Amino acid sequence: MAPIALLEARGISKTFGKVRALHRVDFHINPQEIVGLVGDNGAGKSTLIKILTGVYPPDEGEIYFQGHRVHFSSPKDARALGIETVYQDLALIEQMSIARNFFLGSEIVRRLGILPLLDSRAMEATTEEVLRGLGITSLRSADEEVRVLSGGERQAIAIGRTLHFGAKLLILDEPTSALSIVETQKVLGYIQEAKRRGLSVIFITHNLYHVYPVADRIVVLEHGKKVGDLRKEEASLEDIVNMIAYGGTQA
Amino acid sequence: MTKSAEIKQVAPPARKRDLWRRALGAREVGVLIALVAVIGVFSVLNRNFLTVDTFGDILTQAAELGIAAVGVTFLMIAGEFDLSVGSNFAVAGVMLALLTTRLGWSPFLSIPLVLAAATSVGFLNGVITLGTRIPSFITTLGTMMFWRGIALAITGGWPIYVLGSSRMLDLLGGMAIYQTVRISALWWLIITLIFWLLLVRTPYGNWTFATGGKPEAARALGVPVGRVKLTNFALAGMLAGFAGFTQFGRMGSMSPVWGDGLPLEAIAAAVIGGTSLMGGAGTILGTVLGAITMASIRVGLIMVGAPSYWYTAFLGAVIVVAVILNVRLGEMMTWRR
Ligand SMILES: Nc1ncnc2c1ncn2[C@@H]1O[C@H](COP(=O)(O)OP(=O)(O)OP(=O)(O)O)[C@@H](O)[C@H]1O
Ligand SMILES: [Mg+2]
Repeated sequence: MAPIALLEARGISKTFGKVRALHRVDFHINPQEIVGLVGDNGAGKSTLIKILTGVYPPDEGEIYFQGHRVHFSSPKDARALGIETVYQDLALIEQMSIARNFFLGSEIVRRLGILPLLDSRAMEATTEEVLRGLGITSLRSADEEVRVLSGGERQAIAIGRTLHFGAKLLILDEPTSALSIVETQKVLGYIQEAKRRGLSVIFITHNLYHVYPVADRIVVLEHGKKVGDLRKEEASLEDIVNMIAYGGTQA
Repeated sequence: MTKSAEIKQVAPPARKRDLWRRALGAREVGVLIALVAVIGVFSVLNRNFLTVDTFGDILTQAAELGIAAVGVTFLMIAGEFDLSVGSNFAVAGVMLALLTTRLGWSPFLSIPLVLAAATSVGFLNGVITLGTRIPSFITTLGTMMFWRGIALAITGGWPIYVLGSSRMLDLLGGMAIYQTVRISALWWLIITLIFWLLLVRTPYGNWTFATGGKPEAARALGVPVGRVKLTNFALAGMLAGFAGFTQFGRMGSMSPVWGDGLPLEAIAAAVIGGTSLMGGAGTILGTVLGAITMASIRVGLIMVGAPSYWYTAFLGAVIVVAVILNVRLGEMMTWRR
């Protein structure tokens, strides 16, 4: 009676030369679910995500989106389905304003004859609305440059952008690794808000403590294999910590 | 209505201080200070400096540089350089002179044709740079020499003179529109307005900033980074060619050796005006003020009777001071938040 997964990968393997980065990994995420993807350095987290977003093709395995088999030949294909990835560098441009970053590549324009003119007021108003909706309280104006913002505020822009442009699945690679505790808490809030708005979120991290409070499910990778896949109701934080420490054998 | 109330709630500092901060944070502050200082110095040295006639002279002197610098600014914001604008300027001026005088072609045919050629020269810079991934500072150093050679070759190194005046020359640069202000300054104004609009009010301008600011990020969001750069190379070529036309119109002759200082002067005008050498930041107004500052130095030194080689030294000093001001003010603004 499981719902149709939003995105499902079956039997994914990937090797780079002699390195077996992933070995027969099954992974899925349901609609409106937050999945924490954890594991040590080199466990294969980023590789799995790159396969799910069309950066690399898998050597083996299949990907299904809402029950249909898909073949991604580039990240564009994945984005077209509403799969958005926010990498650590966030794809934000420091010297540009918040609103211009927010709408980069999808600007709101009014036409003056043949000339498309930016509707700055609309872009700023929308940006402020979306960011406040996510729970940002410190925003002064969307026409400030991104370089004056804190790490958490930057995350909010990247998250808000995917929310506004209709993504279904948001993938965050180590969103909190460079943030203070307070900023991390804020970002966790934005992620929960994104879920409330109907998004699914894959949250990749080294730090289980960052993802545990918000995750519905935790998937643990180790040396390219999936060693754990636990719903939060089924496992305490301690169980998962043990699983990471001793590998899949304890679970 | 609730929105403005909300904004006030979370951002209590008075609007006045914000305005102040914004004004001081504007990229043009450095060049404004430099310009005021230059005008101040020359006004003290020569009481005739602060007159309408002198200002007209300055605008006229600044026009060709200003026109080329607009294109260079776009290109620099997109993260690239064009050192060949001076050669392109010379080839375009010389070609227009040859076609209309020696060959007797109609200006209505020659002008679009040569302008298209100048645009292609710029475009070619882009193709070479992006195709080889060699920095544009190097590729356009090569094309700078190449096109200068072509200009010299087609003229045998001699200037081309036009006997008498013509409607075309008048309209391109010869005609005075107000006292000492030539029509070339009007062209500069028109071009500045169009390109200012393009830069700050259109998606294309936004993409140009993004392309120079962080190309990978821009690409990830679907900005056609390569096309944006190519277009800006082409625009820089077109404006360099047009600057060649106004020079030809203003002087009534065109020499294949003119414009050899133009590339670095254009970069200097942009940088004095707050455009970043690293790409991603800059303003058209800043570049306009930069060009005016440079022309003021040139005219001012002539008026105080200084030998012309002082121009270069003085200009060098102003560039350094303006850039320091720009960097310091920029830091201060980030830090004060
Ligand atoms: N493009 C590549 N070429 C060669 N080897 C690679 C490549 N990408 C990843 N690997 C290797 O595959 C393994 C898994 O790497 P991956 O980046 O997926 O790990 P990760 O779990 O994201 O680690 P981290 O926590 O350090 O980000 C590592 O051994 C890594 O060295
Ligand atoms: Mg990784």
